[in-house]
Amino acid sequence: MNGVLAIYHKELQTYFRSPIAYFVVSVFLLGTGYFFLYNIFLTGIGTMDETFQNMGILLLTLIPVITMRLFSGEYSGRTMELLMTLPLKPWQIVFGKYLGATTMLLLMTGATAINLIPLYLYGNPETKTILTGYIGFVLLGMACLAVGQFFSSLTQNQIIAALITVPVLLGFWFVGHLQTFQTDYILRGLFGYLSFALHFGDFIRGLLRSEAVVFYLVVSAIALTLNISYLQWRR
Amino acid sequence: MIALESVSKRYGSRTIIHDVSFTVGKGEIVGFLGPNGAGKTTTMRMIAGFTTATSGRVTVAGFDMATQNEDAARKLGYVPEQPPLYDVLDVSTYLRFVAKVKGVPSRGISRDLDRVMSACRLESVARREIYKLSKGYRQRVGLAQALLGRPEVLLLDEPTAGLDPGQIQETREVIRAFGEKHAVLLSTHILPEVTLICQRVAIINQGRLLAIDSPSGLQRASEQTNSVHLEITAPAEPLREALLGVDGVRAVSVHPLPGRDLLQSVECQVDSREGIEARIARSVAGQWELHRLQRQQPTLENVFLRYVGDTVRGKAA
Repeated sequence: MNGVLAIYHKELQTYFRSPIAYFVVSVFLLGTGYFFLYNIFLTGIGTMDETFQNMGILLLTLIPVITMRLFSGEYSGRTMELLMTLPLKPWQIVFGKYLGATTMLLLMTGATAINLIPLYLYGNPETKTILTGYIGFVLLGMACLAVGQFFSSLTQNQIIAALITVPVLLGFWFVGHLQTFQTDYILRGLFGYLSFALHFGDFIRGLLRSEAVVFYLVVSAIALTLNISYLQWRR
Repeated sequence: MIALESVSKRYGSRTIIHDVSFTVGKGEIVGFLGPNGAGKTTTMRMIAGFTTATSGRVTVAGFDMATQNEDAARKLGYVPEQPPLYDVLDVSTYLRFVAKVKGVPSRGISRDLDRVMSACRLESVARREIYKLSKGYRQRVGLAQALLGRPEVLLLDEPTAGLDPGQIQETREVIRAFGEKHAVLLSTHILPEVTLICQRVAIINQGRLLAIDSPSGLQRASEQTNSVHLEITAPAEPLREALLGVDGVRAVSVHPLPGRDLLQSVECQVDSREGIEARIARSVAGQWELHRLQRQQPTLENVFLRYVGDTVRGKAA
């Protein structure tokens, strides 16, 4: 576990000593602030439903910026040679980095809670729906991070890592729309099951369904396992 | 401490390393010589555990790198050709990270950091971000991370590249001191470095180990590189014929020296038998005016070039 923690601390220090973390957090907070103001004050809807929906799409576009350097940066900076020759197992490297990225996600998510102050001051929001929305948002983010981290391990070019991650995440988000064009029951079910957006919709509506929770955790687990296997195969 | 037994490395159908075997013992510094692309870095990477051998066995401090590479990594310090540094971190934070991963106990980390920073003269840049450091300092930070955790084996890929003469001297002292009680494998292009600090030299080319011996042993074994140098006033062709007639002389090259008529500089390739200088001197005595005659000892450069040249010629044939 010491190895995981050492990587985790190194990751956090790396995030906050480079402009990336500040850029991502700023863009995310500006974006969510705008969506919140628009949805609450301009349309007059006193819930977070629409804001969560917008936050989800915004997250999908920002996740690649967080994950693109996770392994690509190690390859291009020649530091992968250090990590792979230190007394570390590939799973420790992968989990240390994943925990670091998840911490970034939690910080971003936590910072959006400032939007809730006016909501509670001037409205009567449903706390349970907001809580499930946040849980869904974090689970969605964790799945996206795992996918982005895996693609980052495949190339030493950070831009290519991001360019692969964006369409894959958007594909997972929009795959549910293909249900409309399908008459086959199995395919409709499959597209629905694979959709990040449909599962996220459950959380936004206040439903904490085990199927949705397990889905995000399974996607994360598959991506992280592929990540570990790839590092082992590279050796 | 380091043992390679019939190690080969293949990428697809291409074999990069062919059946390499050698050992590095405790208290020994072995120089690893070879031209670019010879397989030095691949061999180093297999010993360090960055990549695995396709066949054969690599052991470090008794641990098999194929199955126990994590145990071996605790006994190993490795400096790749390009030091693996996190530019945004400062020197102290970077070294602390490496110490933690190497399992240095928390209360001993500061002491270990002081030790390696002092050995590598890094105290003055301890709080400086790595991207602000000169190439020489970066090289030394790379060496410092390898020394953390008191490893038993040190692998150094071009450790003095980019250093100024003073820093080279200091780095050699660090390596020499470390090599007194530990095993060091040092890859370098700087041949005098090998002569100065290595007890043995391994020469590799095109993925094959060509020789491994002490620098002096290699020089002794290299009889083809013996030569005798003469400065003599004589006509070129008769001189060449006379010298080629001497028993033990294999080849003669004659170059006129500027300034005086018929003054020649002559290089005779000879075998290693004793008395060749006297036979050459007798062959020219009385006919021409001999100004200088000197037996040239084989240098490590010549030995290296001979081994590498033989491989290239062998491939061409």
